[in-house]
Formats: sequence, structure tokens, C-alpha cells
Amino acid sequence: MKKHIYLLAAFLGLGVGMSQAQVQKGSVLIKNATVLTVTKGNLESSDVLVQNGIITQIGKNLTAPAGVNAIDATGKYVMPGIIDAHSHVGLDVVNEASAPITSEIRMKDVVNPQDLGIYRALAGGVTVSHAMHGSANLVGGQNATLKHRWGSEDPADIIMQEAPRTIKFALGENPTRVHGRGNGIQPRSRMGVEAVIRNGFNEAIQYKKGWEKYNLAKAQKGNTVTPPAYSERLQTLADILDGKIIIHCHSYRADEIYMLINVIKDFNIKKVVFQHTNEGFKVAPEIAEYTMGASVFADWWAYKMEVYYSTAYNAAILQKNGAITSINSDSAELIRHLYHEAGKTQRYGGLTDEEALAMITLNPAKQLGIEDKVGSIEVGKQADLVIFEGHPLSSYAVPQMTFVDGVKYFDRKADKEDQRQFVAATEMVEPIFLRANEEAHRCMQDVDKYFEAFQGAFMNGKQ
Amino acid sequence: MNKQFLKAGMLGLLVAGWLSQSALAQSDPSGKRRVTSTYAITNATVFKAPGDPGSKATILIKDGVILGVGAAIALPKEAKVIAGDSLYVYPGFIDGAGNMGITKPKDVERTKDFVSSTPPDEVAGITPWRMATDSYSAASTTVDDWRKAGFTLSQVVPDGGMLPGKTALVLLGEPKTNNFLKVNTAVAANFRSSRGMYPATLAGVMAKFRDIYQNTALVIDHERMFAANSGVKRPQASPTHTAFMPVVQKQLPVLFTAGSELEIRRALALQKELGFKLVLTGLENYESVIDEIKSSGTSVLIKLQVPDDKSIKAQKADGITEATKAQYARVKEAYDQALKQAAQLEKAGILFGFSTTDAKATDVQKTMKTMIDNGLSSKAALAALTTNPAAILGISGMAGTLEKGKLANLVVTTDTLFKEDTQIKHVIADGYVFDYEVKKKAVKAEPASAKPEAAPNGVQVEGVWEYTSETPAGSSGGEITLKRENGVLAGSITYDDPSGSGKASAPIKNASLTGKTLSFEFDVAAGGMSLTVTISGEINGKNMEGALSVPQMGSFPVKATLSSPSQAN
Repeated sequence: MKKHIYLLAAFLGLGVGMSQAQVQKGSVLIKNATVLTVTKGNLESSDVLVQNGIITQIGKNLTAPAGVNAIDATGKYVMPGIIDAHSHVGLDVVNEASAPITSEIRMKDVVNPQDLGIYRALAGGVTVSHAMHGSANLVGGQNATLKHRWGSEDPADIIMQEAPRTIKFALGENPTRVHGRGNGIQPRSRMGVEAVIRNGFNEAIQYKKGWEKYNLAKAQKGNTVTPPAYSERLQTLADILDGKIIIHCHSYRADEIYMLINVIKDFNIKKVVFQHTNEGFKVAPEIAEYTMGASVFADWWAYKMEVYYSTAYNAAILQKNGAITSINSDSAELIRHLYHEAGKTQRYGGLTDEEALAMITLNPAKQLGIEDKVGSIEVGKQADLVIFEGHPLSSYAVPQMTFVDGVKYFDRKADKEDQRQFVAATEMVEPIFLRANEEAHRCMQDVDKYFEAFQGAFMNGKQ
Repeated sequence: MNKQFLKAGMLGLLVAGWLSQSALAQSDPSGKRRVTSTYAITNATVFKAPGDPGSKATILIKDGVILGVGAAIALPKEAKVIAGDSLYVYPGFIDGAGNMGITKPKDVERTKDFVSSTPPDEVAGITPWRMATDSYSAASTTVDDWRKAGFTLSQVVPDGGMLPGKTALVLLGEPKTNNFLKVNTAVAANFRSSRGMYPATLAGVMAKFRDIYQNTALVIDHERMFAANSGVKRPQASPTHTAFMPVVQKQLPVLFTAGSELEIRRALALQKELGFKLVLTGLENYESVIDEIKSSGTSVLIKLQVPDDKSIKAQKADGITEATKAQYARVKEAYDQALKQAAQLEKAGILFGFSTTDAKATDVQKTMKTMIDNGLSSKAALAALTTNPAAILGISGMAGTLEKGKLANLVVTTDTLFKEDTQIKHVIADGYVFDYEVKKKAVKAEPASAKPEAAPNGVQVEGVWEYTSETPAGSSGGEITLKRENGVLAGSITYDDPSGSGKASAPIKNASLTGKTLSFEFDVAAGGMSLTVTISGEINGKNMEGALSVPQMGSFPVKATLSSPSQAN
């Protein structure tokens, strides 16, 4: 029996390895596909060779090195893994809605690699998602950039460790409702929103000075300067001022977008991306000049007062004005067909194939600060790839296989009925929670729970 | 008292007055005071420590201390003798972390100027200065329940929010005495958020934990400066920081409750980042993090309860779709896996004890038996109840084994532990003897129908089969033990342990005899995976021939002979 099991382990070597190895890197040769590189045009009947997780060769008639599996993709399309710059998939907590500034919150603490949403995203060709804090606070938590390595047990294994730090900001109705109307504290108005953000940065400057003073003094003999209180909240704001963190700011109206641009100019902050940005088309030149662009919905609005003035041409207008523009999901459902969402920019704005695809690949990569690693099919980049039946921008496109670091995590032909990673030993039927509406925005998730403790009446809208 | 006073009437008044007066006198008319504090259990089968095969000995205790364990022990006159000839004595069980006897302190009322984004620590469940001793009642029925299950010592954990307070070691002895063995033994922590205020989520709790830790470290620096130099601003440590100092100074461990794999990972991540001493408690699902626990060197206290089998039993055999069948199989797999976790901890060499928090005292015997049936050795099981928690709690010098000089904490049973019919007759905790009623076993007058079935078709299946299987990698084998219980075939199978030398054993599942065909399944753990192996064969007299099949591997011939058939009564 002993030998028996060893033999078996050898047969199933991959399966055993998957559960124990850290981050898996794969090798594969995708043959004879139409390669949509996004940066270097479309290559007909071409091959992509991946070795140890990295794209090593792109060309015609490549041969697979020994031990590298070849996949015939004749008649199919290969595109870079789709990147969603606004998602809440794979998180156990979305909103720490209890204070206007919670920059000490780390979404990396609450990553859940077992969330089925990750697999569904893979089935829609999404290989990287930006797992964000919600929009209840002016400054929410620090986000996590995830690589969809489905099947990982350790949250650290699906976090893209090499991605730069990002943080969530939110303007407008959500934070004023939660903190102002809901809690009776600043901010109750858009003016208050600006004041709280400016105060936060000013406090961070003082905090940083306090520590600099202490650090200089403490080595000296007879020092009487005592250590200041530690605050990861202020330290994180100071890191933003030092250019170490990219702000991703939930916003809708042109006036609030322009307000934040003024704030960042005053504090000399360069790294800002606007999220949602439904009125971005009104301030597109400013967004292009002062920020890292906008990440928008293709055609989704009118779900609350501040989102009534909108257009499906938003993405195209921003793009034509030179703003880096991406299309995001903010939804566990939309994330499954971002390629359709990108296609809408062709119907509304007439973008080229390459421009439209960049909206869900290279552009979000730029906004997350990972464009040197992912977002296009180029030699040296990480092998996050999707094989499509049909052109990805066609209404009939169906993703066939999705690779992260050259490892295949989704294959339409080997799609198990039951993809759950964790099954409870004592629950015959998985519990269903009425509130957990997959199609709803998750930006305000956890806020309900927070409110029902003492002020349930404020939750009218779902967003 | 007032109400009773009125109801009692004149006679009652007189009697009550007489009683309360005489309580002050020297004699003890209640008859409850014990005659002696010296006891001897004579000629019992004594298991001094886990792994001890047991030997006949006498144990003498006095004033809560073991005076001697051995064959030639002189008994003083005042020793009350418990004849142990038919009894078995084990070290008293130790609960690594429990909530017996603990009541939750009342919520602190919010002041008018309460702001939910910056609540006072006390309101937000951050009360590390609280002591379990303040909310513990030795007279609680839950304490009785756990004592009855064999527990003599517990680390009681205060109830509350993310940092509810400090734990204490209590003896489960006479409730009216001071039972605190050691106070402030660990700082309890939970991933428990505060409703409607900061920290309102798991993410907030983790951030707040870091904040408290880092600021406590700074307060320590500040106090040191203040003590050393003049002209330094006065330190103003909050009660939270003061109470948390022993954690930062690594004098006390954090006792972190982490039930699921992800919670365990999160607690380990905080430990790695900040560097405090950590003990994990309340573990329920931990199979996939055993390697991480091992490499971190963390001690763990697993929940003394296995998952209930309601879902498994509710599975229907007929009238269900293939999809439902597949879902059933996954729940079954998860259930089977959950039962094996304790054995996997043993195999990994991780020091583990038990936590009684949220467990049922009356299920202890069943829980232990289930864990043992699923691969945990009896030795490791006893160690997890005695020496392991003693080591984790730092009291190995005084508890965990039966040795001269140790605390008189003993469990006295009617048979060896972990047997189905074994009952606890006495528990001695802190030298106090607690007697329990032992139910007489019903004499098994086996009804004729309960005879080992020579089966309707005359096929003899019960007994011990020796089997060999031929695989491409060579031949191997072991024993299959089958027995019919209440008409259901059950038993166990041994096989060459895939992870090393010797034999491993697994319970037999889904055994059935149809005509002459016997088939059953068992689970083999290998390389972090569990495989279900099926054996099916045809019985002819005392021989069986058939196949052993492994999913995705194929089938291999298997042969077996009935080496010792069960005797029909």
C-alpha cells in the first residue's frame, strides 16, 4: 500500500503540489492564434511561448521546449489577462464604515482566496483585480491588488505582492450620508468632505514632523523628547504625500473631481486615479493633465441623485482628451464580461479595437502601477493570458482558457460543476444571505450591518 | 432572605436562627465538612502519564498534593481509603482554555458625548485590564459539568470584545475555597468587532490590534525615559496600554481565538509582524494550515468537539439527482476530513491541547473516541488532555501527571479510558473527591437474533481478515476487522502507512454484503490529500478474491482469508 500511494502521488503530482507550493509559475506554448498584443498590434497565426510564468517568445512556428505543453489555438484569439481596476471580489470585509478616515485599514488583512467570485472572474478572462475598500469613508482602507490564482489557500498567494500600494478615497453622497447624516459628525456636505481630507493631510504633515523631531533627538544624550503616539492612519496619509501610494478616488460629479484635483495640487500629490467618474467627460482635460486618469463604468448610472448626469460616451471622451481610461466592474457579475463592457466604447465613441481592449488591460495596469508587468502581450511580461473563441470585443466572444503566470486556472472544457474550495462539514445546503446580492454594487457593503446597530433608517439606496 | 423569612413562619424562624448560630461553632451539623483531607486509592491500575502502560499501585494524597504513587506506600490512619482494585486512575484533565463559570460583564453604557468613530476602549470591547477571576463563579453548573467529564483544571477566559481581559488558571475543586492557581496567565484576543462603532469589522480589529501593540511599546519607552531622566514629560499610559505591556514585553502570551483556517492565518500573520508570544485556541477547521502552525512553532488548543453529523445523517439515498449526490459527497468528505484533523496534528508533531469553550461536556467521551477512531493515538489523546496543556500553560511541574509532589488532580474510571463503556467514578480535583454514579452495564443476554450473522445465505463475513493486494509497485497488505453492529457492518482496516513505517488504520465505511459480494470503502491520507479506496470481492468460505480500486489510479487484485472468524454465541 505504501508504494501504492507514492505511485499515486507521482501520478497526481501536480494536484499535490498545487495545495502546497507558494505561487505557481507555469510554462506553456499557445500555438497558431490571433495574438492581440494591445501594444504591438495584432499578430495573425502566431505563437506565444511562456516559460516559468513569463512570456519569453512571440512569433511564428515556435517549438515547445522539452516538457512544455503546447495548446493549439488555431482560429482563436489570445489577449492579455483582463484587469479590473475596481472590484470587491475576494474580500471578507469591504467597509470599515465607522470613521471618516480609516487609512490604517488594510484590505490585505481580509483577503479570502476561497471566494467563488474569483473563479467566475477567471471564467470571464479577468486575471488581476483591484480589491478595494468601500466608499463609506473619505479615506477608506489600503487596497489589495489580486492575482486570480484560484485554488490557493494562503491569502498571500493571491495578492500581487509586487504591485504598488493603493488606497481608496470617496467623495459625495456616500460619506456624507454615513458620517454626516448617519452619525452627526463631519462631513455632512461636500464642503465638509474637502475640509476633512485637507485636515487629514495637514495632520499627517504634523505627524511626520513629530516623528522626525523625535528620531533626531532620541539618539542624543539627556534627550527629553518623548515618542509621539503611533498612528498608522496618519502614517499612511504621510506616505500618500510622499508619493508612495496611489489614490483611487470614488467620485461622480465634475465639481467634486475638480475639488480633489485642487487638493492634490495644493499638497503636491501626483498619483491619483478617479473611480466611477460619471461626470468625468466635463473635466476630461483636467483629469488628463493632473491625474493618472479615470476608471469608469461603460454605461451604468442613475442609481442615485449624484449619478444622474451621465453618458455612455464618457470613456471615449476621456480617452480622446488624453486621460488614461479604464472600464471597471465594481461588481461580481459585471466582472464576468468586462470584454463586453469594453466593446461598448466602440458603439459609443467609435474607439479602435486596440483602444477598446486597452480599457480593460493596459490602462487599468497603468492605474494600478503594474503596466511594466502585465496588461499586454510582450516578451518579459508576466504570462496572464486569455484564449477566446471569437474576437473578445464581439458579442459572441466566449473565453476558453485563462492563464495567470502561465498556469491555467480556467478551462471551459474542464469546468467542474462544483468549484467550492471550502465545504462545511455540517451544512447540507450553503447558507444564502438575502443581502448578498451579487449583482449589486458592493461599494457600500458592511455599511448596513454597521447601521442596523443604531440607525437602520438611513439605508434606502443599495449603493 | 426576606421572602423566605415571611413564609417560614415561627418554627422556620427558630430553626434558621439556631442554624446560623451554630455555623459559628466548632462542630459541623451540616455534615458536609470532610472528615479528612487525606485519601488513598489502593491497588488500582494507575496510568501515571500518557504512554504509561498502567500498573497496579496505591496513590496517597493529602491537602491537595500527591504524597506518593507506588506499590509499597504506608497509609496513615487518617487516610480515607478508596478501594481501587477494579478501578483505573489517570491524571486529571486540563482545559487549555475555557469559559466554564464565566459570565459576560454588562455592556458599558455610552455617554452622551459618545462618538462612534472614537469610542472609549471599554465600550469598544477593548478591556485587557479585566481579569477572568472577576467574572468567574466556581459554583456554576458548567464547572460541575466539566468536572464530571474529568476536568480538574482550566484556564478560564473572560468574555467580551476583541480584547476581553486576562485569563486565570482555576482548579475545579471545592467551590467554597479559593480555586485560583494562577491569575493573569494570558491576554485573551478575538477577531470580534464592535457593533456600530470603531473597530466595526475584522479589518478594523486587525488595525486596532496593531495600534494598541505599537503604542504600548512606545508607552514603555516613554516610561523608561521618565524613570531615567528628569525634565521628561509625564507618561500617561491608558489602562489598555498598561494591561497590554506584558504582551509587548513577551511576559504573557496572547491567547487568540481563531476557529477557521483564515482566522488562524490572520492571527499567525499578526504574530509574525509584531512578534508577540501566541497561543491559538478554539481551532475548528485547521487541516490546511497545519504546516503553517508547525513552522511558526505556535501551540494550539483545538475545540473539544467534532462537527455534528446531522447533515451527514440527513443525506438521502434515493430520489436525488446526480448533482445533489455530488454535493452530498463533498459534505461527507469535509466531515470525514474534519474528524481526522486531530490525528494530523499528532502526526505533524504539534503540541496541542483542548479548549472547552463552546463545547459540550457530555460529549467529551464521544469526541475523544471519534478522534481516536480517526487515527489519533490513545497516547496523544491523553497527552492532549493532560501533559500538553500543562506544558502550554507552563505548569508541567505541578500538573499533568501522577507523581509525588504534584497537585492531587485525578480521574478514576471503571475501565481504561476511551473505551465506549468506560465511566468516570470519581474525579479528584485539588484533593477534593467528587463521586459520580456509575451505571451498571446491562448484562448482555444476547438475543438469538443478534448472533453474528451466519447471514441468510450462509456467508461468514464477521471477524478478522488478512489481506494482500498486488500493485505495480509491489505487494502489501494488512487486516480487515468486520463486525455487525445493530445489523450494520462496520469495522476497521490496517494498511502500510504511506507516510512512513508501520501500519495505519482507518474505519471502514459503507460496508455491504450482497449475496456473496462484500464491498466497503476507507480513506487514506497521503501528501495532504485524502483518497477513498474501495475494496470489493466475492467470498467463498473463508476466502475472498476481488479488487482494490483507487480513484484515478485503477484497480488491483486483492485476496483475503478469514483468519479468526467471530464465534457465534
